[in-house]
Amino acid sequence: MSSTEHIFTASKVTCIVPAQGERRTIFENLDFAIASGEIVDLVGPSGSGKSSLLTAFARLNPHATGSFTLAGHDSDEFTPQQWRHEVAYLPQKPILPGETVAEAIRLPFTLVIRAGADSIGGQNAGNAATVAIDASTAAAPASASDAAAGRFANAQHRIGKVGLGRKLMALFRNNDQQAHKLLTDHKIRMTLDAMGCEDIDLDRPPHDLSGGQAARVSLARTLLTEPKVLLADEVDAGLDDENAEKVADIMATAAAGGMAIIRIRHRPPDGRASRIATLTNGTLSEQAGEQA
Amino acid sequence: MTGNAYDIDIWGLLVALTMVAIAAGISELMRINIGKTLLWSACRALLQLCAMGFIIGYVIRANNVLLVFAVIAVMLVAAVQITLSRAKGVPKGLAGPVLLSLTITMLLMISLVTELVVRPHPWYAPQLVVPLTGMLLGNTVSALAVGLSRFYESMNERRDEIDTLLALGSTAWEAARPSIVSSIRLGLLPTTATLASCGIVTIPGMMAGQVIAGGDPLEAAKYQFVVFAAIAALTLVADSLIMAMVYRTCFTADDQYKPPEMR
Repeated sequence: MSSTEHIFTASKVTCIVPAQGERRTIFENLDFAIASGEIVDLVGPSGSGKSSLLTAFARLNPHATGSFTLAGHDSDEFTPQQWRHEVAYLPQKPILPGETVAEAIRLPFTLVIRAGADSIGGQNAGNAATVAIDASTAAAPASASDAAAGRFANAQHRIGKVGLGRKLMALFRNNDQQAHKLLTDHKIRMTLDAMGCEDIDLDRPPHDLSGGQAARVSLARTLLTEPKVLLADEVDAGLDDENAEKVADIMATAAAGGMAIIRIRHRPPDGRASRIATLTNGTLSEQAGEQA
Repeated sequence: MTGNAYDIDIWGLLVALTMVAIAAGISELMRINIGKTLLWSACRALLQLCAMGFIIGYVIRANNVLLVFAVIAVMLVAAVQITLSRAKGVPKGLAGPVLLSLTITMLLMISLVTELVVRPHPWYAPQLVVPLTGMLLGNTVSALAVGLSRFYESMNERRDEIDTLLALGSTAWEAARPSIVSSIRLGLLPTTATLASCGIVTIPGMMAGQVIAGGDPLEAAKYQFVVFAAIAALTLVADSLIMAMVYRTCFTADDQYKPPEMR
């Protein structure tokens, strides 16, 4: 496949960690690519570096190097924040800072990177498609590149326009108001309901949630930011089968809307992945998944 | 010096030292094991204070601008050393930022309090500038030490939260902000507590000194307030400056979290 058909490509990904004075190579020169709407499972023995690979894709791993592209654009053209806005890593452990569940879900929208963005989701808020990226980029992969470039240019323009005074003021101010405008309680409720999370009360403190609920809230938070690529690090680990099934359903819906999803999994294949990539002893091998 | 209404003679110093020695002896008997440190610190304090007294006396008599700033420079370097030795779990190479933040606040203190409020003649009046710097440094050194320790401790504790924030697209500053806020708050706690309790519970050292030396208590109170207000404001400035300068030590150039062993 040519690179334009792949929303995300990674090449020559290497991860070397310092360990007791030595340098241990986790993996070297790995290549990977994924198309919009595709779900790829990443499996392999623990310690093989699956998490390191995903954090490398999100440019979050200080020990990893490699070159990455998103919709044909090199990762060097993005700031780290712009990159992670599109290539979102979802950690295994759900960390939900905030007084309430609603506040925890709104967290990404208090950040500068999303300041000045339009209200998300469009008019069909109740539709599960709102959790996926907007329809125009999903429908035609060819136009995805233009859309990404447009969003990128827009963001650069925005950053350039903010004055020094507002920058100083923004240093310590909480952008709660901005977040409320971008993501209303109503919209969060509709989205959670569409994801089968009717059991989650928005006004409860996040630490009251069960493990399964916390995992779904964490997933919903990242999906609401509408990344183009979702890197899900064993999100269903430690969940019972019912919750794991719910999480898989949510991700399948997002993929149907055009999101590319890489899942690290330890469970047996659930038939949702189009490919299964195995990372062992520093090499990546692929086989077709049995898609249902 | 003969300005004091009631001078302390050599026997007075011996009585004070004996008090410490007795306390130290009792602590040894009770196996608290702090006696040696207590006695040693007391002797050190006596020597350092007398040396400071001699030096300030000399500087005041010499009345030389270069000498005043030389003394201040030595105090600054010592303050950096004490700050870094008291701050726990901080990476190496912070001497520069600490020195810079102390120097900036010290210059602000001298230009605002000395030149704007008190306006002495000559402008570098040693009996004003040197003690003021000492009081400011005493406060900012402990605020910086507490603030720095707390900042790095908090950054280590919040590791997972920081990774989550960065993954959601936060800048290094946004990810570090909760740690910065909590460390500045903690560093400033003693200062705000002193401000609130002075005059009711305590008579602050500077005011007490002026009153004992026979000064007008109201004048002493006004002096004390100006100095307290300046110290409180400048401690906040010093803490904010140091945080702005060091928070990036916890991140790589690509805004990735840098674990403690990589700093």
